[in-house]
Amino acid sequence: MSAFVQLAALGIAQGAFLLMASLGFSLTRRVEGFLNIAHAQYLSVAAFVTYFLNNIAQIHFAIAAFAGVVAAVIVGFVVGKLVYEPIRHLGPAVSLITSVGVVYMLDGMIEIIVGTGSFLVTLPRVAPVRVGPVTITLYQVLVVVIAVVVTLATVRILNHTKIGTAIRITALDRYLGASRGVDVKKAGNASWLLSSAIAGVAGVALAVLGALTTHKGFDQILIILAVALLAGLGSVAALSISAMTIGVAREVSLLWLPAGFRDIIAFGIVILVLIFLPYGISGRVE
Amino acid sequence: MSPLLAAVITVGILIGIYGVVAIALNFQYGEAGLINFGVVAYFAIGAYTFAILTAGPPSETALDQYRWGFNLHPFLAALVAGLVGVIFSMISGWPALRLRGEYLALTTFAFAEVLQSSLVNVRAVTNGTSGFAGVVQPFRDAVGNYNLLILVAALALLLFTMWFFQRLVRSPYGRTLRAIKGDEVGVTASGKSPEKYRREAFFLSAFFIALAGVVFVIWLTLARPTSFGAEITFFVWIAMILGGEGNNWRVLAAISGLIIFDELIGALPLESVEAVQRVNAGQIFLTGLLFVLVLRWRTPRAGAI
Repeated sequence: MSAFVQLAALGIAQGAFLLMASLGFSLTRRVEGFLNIAHAQYLSVAAFVTYFLNNIAQIHFAIAAFAGVVAAVIVGFVVGKLVYEPIRHLGPAVSLITSVGVVYMLDGMIEIIVGTGSFLVTLPRVAPVRVGPVTITLYQVLVVVIAVVVTLATVRILNHTKIGTAIRITALDRYLGASRGVDVKKAGNASWLLSSAIAGVAGVALAVLGALTTHKGFDQILIILAVALLAGLGSVAALSISAMTIGVAREVSLLWLPAGFRDIIAFGIVILVLIFLPYGISGRVE
Repeated sequence: MSPLLAAVITVGILIGIYGVVAIALNFQYGEAGLINFGVVAYFAIGAYTFAILTAGPPSETALDQYRWGFNLHPFLAALVAGLVGVIFSMISGWPALRLRGEYLALTTFAFAEVLQSSLVNVRAVTNGTSGFAGVVQPFRDAVGNYNLLILVAALALLLFTMWFFQRLVRSPYGRTLRAIKGDEVGVTASGKSPEKYRREAFFLSAFFIALAGVVFVIWLTLARPTSFGAEITFFVWIAMILGGEGNNWRVLAAISGLIIFDELIGALPLESVEAVQRVNAGQIFLTGLLFVLVLRWRTPRAGAI
């Protein structure tokens, strides 16, 4: 039982990370209408910039992390404007296929610069905390807290600001919105900035939670896709439930299955969702 | 045999094998509008099925981890491998083919990733990371230069695949598929089930992709999980996009160009491991760039979903 609780606690930390990783992805999916496979590479960009500034340039971690987020925002915005917007009229399938090209470009670039291997961000050592049967590090708690803050801030921006309203209108119907005087261009820009900023924060969390490899981005996208699919086109609440379910399920599965099978959990959920809940938890149809 | 001739034969074999995959994919996407992001899974299924079916019983001394080897005749094994590819395409395609295009992309991608991780983890069947070495090569003793025989086999399979799909596209069946792409509602109204046609197109292509996997594994005599990564999927995709979906000859030209380019890069005299790795990374970057540029400036045919 205690092993279960321990793994569930780790799963919550993973789920918090997954929530951040899939939040920006889902925003792009709603506003731009396609699955951006390259979203996980924005996480990689942030993670590696953080690694470089923190480990190689010996800059304070907080500054390194901030620079990482800024790098992800720049990359996400530039790619959005330069690559995705000119092909939007060709439909979601072409954008999806193009995003695979972006994956290769970003991964290739990262690999040219950092090379292959495993990279660990050095952080000040902190003793693990014991709470009842659960042992957890301060950094894992931090990731959960940051995920909550980021998610609430995103909800706040989307629901209670003018630009947030514009983003939601653009997601619903770009053309109707434009004809009713909504600045859809500005809303599109804001959505690229917002989604890649969230990806940047998630990337820093990725760097904090474990070692980095150049393949890390690619490994994440499958799980991000599973989270987004399970959530459906619903609210942030549906996404949170979905991220936590998959995060906890993946960790708890270690009780019965070898670690190599963890990805099959995410995958099994994809299949079950497609059969029984084709529109996810939210059940909303486009 | 001169090294140049050997290189030419290698390129020819690769063009044969990947050409088959590209043409089958071209049928799925170019004619039926199906986005298959897990092409490598069907390729791997073909290769592994053949390797497992033709393998002898596991030996204690070689530290084999697999439990079943079937010693099947290679021709029978190749046929079964193709059929297992179709069965796998039914399992992986069935849940998603009912839904919109991007869901198929997603499930096939997920299936391929998980298949690769299963190849590593389900050791009793796949022999784990070491996979199968010394896969049976039919007629090994009959010819002096075996690669020449492989070349003939690969090109024969390519020609057959070409002929088959060219015929199919021009048949009433192919016209129906095109009609579905153009006006799904209209086709439904005339009493045909678009879903059924899409399913069949998907399953049929899987057969050819699995056969290409068989030729691949006979050539290498080696089936390892690392040989079946997502790179293969996207390599073929890039060739197809580059050539222009729906046109088999141009897709074939594109894949030939990419393979020759790849081999030339591989033949560069590089001094250090680091240089090799940087060049590889540069190649990954260039591939992505090419992909993005081609999609940006080449207007796809009308009706491509």
